[in-house]
Amino acid sequence: MTAHIEIKDVVKRFGAATVIDHLSLSIDPNEFMVFLGPSGCGKSTLLRMIAGLESVDEGTISINGQRIDNLPPGQRDIAMVFQSYALYPHMTVADNMAFGLRNIGISADVISARVTEAGRMLEIGHLMERKPGQLSGGQRQRVAIGRAIVKEPKAFLFDEPLSNLDAALRVRTRVELAQLRHRVKSTMIFVTHDQIEAMTLADRIVVMNNRKIEQIGTPMEIYSRPATRFVATFVGSPAMNFVDATLDTSGTNVTARFAGGVSVETDIGSNQLGDGKYTFGIRSEDVRVAPVGQGNAEGVVDVIERLGERTLVYARLGDGQQVVGSDAGNSPVAVGDRIGLAFDGRKSHLFNEAGHAWHARGV
Amino acid sequence: MSHNPAIKGRAFGDRVLLGLVILLAIVMIAPVFFVVALSLKNNQELMVDPNSVFRLPYTLVNYINTVGTSSVFRWVLNSAIVAGGLTIFTLVLSSLAGYGFARLNFPGRDALFIIVLLGLAVPEQAVLVARHQIFSWIGLHNSYPGLILPGLSSAFGVFLMTQYFRAIPKELDEAAMLDNASRFRIFWKVLLPLTVPAQATLGIFTFLGAWNDYFWPLISATKKEMFTLTVGIASTQVNFAQSQGIGFLMAQAVFAGAPILIVYLFFQKYIVTAVSGAAVR
Repeated sequence: MTAHIEIKDVVKRFGAATVIDHLSLSIDPNEFMVFLGPSGCGKSTLLRMIAGLESVDEGTISINGQRIDNLPPGQRDIAMVFQSYALYPHMTVADNMAFGLRNIGISADVISARVTEAGRMLEIGHLMERKPGQLSGGQRQRVAIGRAIVKEPKAFLFDEPLSNLDAALRVRTRVELAQLRHRVKSTMIFVTHDQIEAMTLADRIVVMNNRKIEQIGTPMEIYSRPATRFVATFVGSPAMNFVDATLDTSGTNVTARFAGGVSVETDIGSNQLGDGKYTFGIRSEDVRVAPVGQGNAEGVVDVIERLGERTLVYARLGDGQQVVGSDAGNSPVAVGDRIGLAFDGRKSHLFNEAGHAWHARGV
Repeated sequence: MSHNPAIKGRAFGDRVLLGLVILLAIVMIAPVFFVVALSLKNNQELMVDPNSVFRLPYTLVNYINTVGTSSVFRWVLNSAIVAGGLTIFTLVLSSLAGYGFARLNFPGRDALFIIVLLGLAVPEQAVLVARHQIFSWIGLHNSYPGLILPGLSSAFGVFLMTQYFRAIPKELDEAAMLDNASRFRIFWKVLLPLTVPAQATLGIFTFLGAWNDYFWPLISATKKEMFTLTVGIASTQVNFAQSQGIGFLMAQAVFAGAPILIVYLFFQKYIVTAVSGAAVR
């Protein structure tokens, strides 16, 4: 049975410091939920609270309607994969996987069957008699996942499990995890600070910052319609462009005017906005490099990053603000060139001083 | 490569070092051979000419006499019980205390740990009279508990095990908690097996220290049948050695040294690393 996890108004304090501040969240059965955020945002603490490794100072955590925050970790019917894998160094791979099952008195036959099946699924069947010290990083990772799988838990918790792997192995393991989640029907919570892991694996992403949830949404919602300026900055590489602008709300749609006479008509209704100062935001792929005189702004190229399929062009506008635009992979532009920039107002965003976002209808 | 003067110089340095090590080994091992040789000589022959140790004939008569008449076996047994018991109990207590200091949160933990460490600074001589008096009151002299109990308060053992437990990642405890293991099961099945190298180090030091200890057994064990080996051999020696014969004495010394040699052969790997201060992986 898979878990519906309900987190209600939880608070966590370490001494005088509050690390989780009245946070509520609902995770659906079979959902792959990713907690994404920078170091120290509280995402790992929240995961450890669900696991029972940290106490809950206020609020409740329930699984399928049953309150679990007062249960010891072993009785919550969840399994966790640690960043350091936390395999028992003196036990063989088979014993590592069987340990948890032995502790709850499952018969040897069932244990053996489950361990063998997990070994087959994760292609570690030939490593069963080895000890963790004799395994590579990737193999240890699989054993750690295997140890979780054999318990057939209601929910899996992953605490940055890919961060100790080298770049190539990380990509491979990420793909394997994506495959695994379709084979193992269970609720999964995955903590990471890597937005690519979050975007590729998640059904939904919880973006956290500074002890609070910034946004909950599908990967494309998070990317295309970031709720706050923080999310727009944290998700996406390169980060969204932000340009100081004055707004003209005399028309149906807002027109953003930058210093130097540049103006971009957005697809955001003028009647949606209140008073105050706003910042114009747009992703680099929605700023196309164009010949001088075309597009709605001009700039001088500072830096060029060639990514293969496209080229990122860092250009400085007339007032000194830098924006990143996109061009074809074989773009002819060079550092120091004067170029035109075509801002696609239908894909633009506006952020008020508090960081809250308004999005064009086209995104 | 052999033409490289730096490497040549290093090879020469290595040879000098090897020569020194061999010399040191001879200095260390020569008395042992001398003891064995003396134990194989007839006592009368040695009294006439001590240099006869270097020539034939050799005899096993001293060993036969030792087996027949000496109390050395009793003393070896006493030493084995005291050193073995002390080692086992020290390992148990130090492991539990080390786990407690490293993993449990209780009021006054840090202050208590400092008090334990202060025990390292108190010399045995400072507490000897008081300890003798207490053991006398409760009638523990001339008993195995009397010989074992004082050694159990091992500040070194507690310190060593605490540091070792602290070095084990807490994620292992947490993984075991999620695996539904009780606190004792985590200690027994997950953490304790990982401290085997430290246990070996502590066990060896404790065993050797107890086996070679002379001071406390000399005070506590006044009856001959409760002597440990060190006290027993010393008592034989003061009884005018020549009357029993130097060969006979040396045969007892060989019996006395044999168990420690066996311990050494079994735990060679751990002793070397324990003495060199490195952890066995």
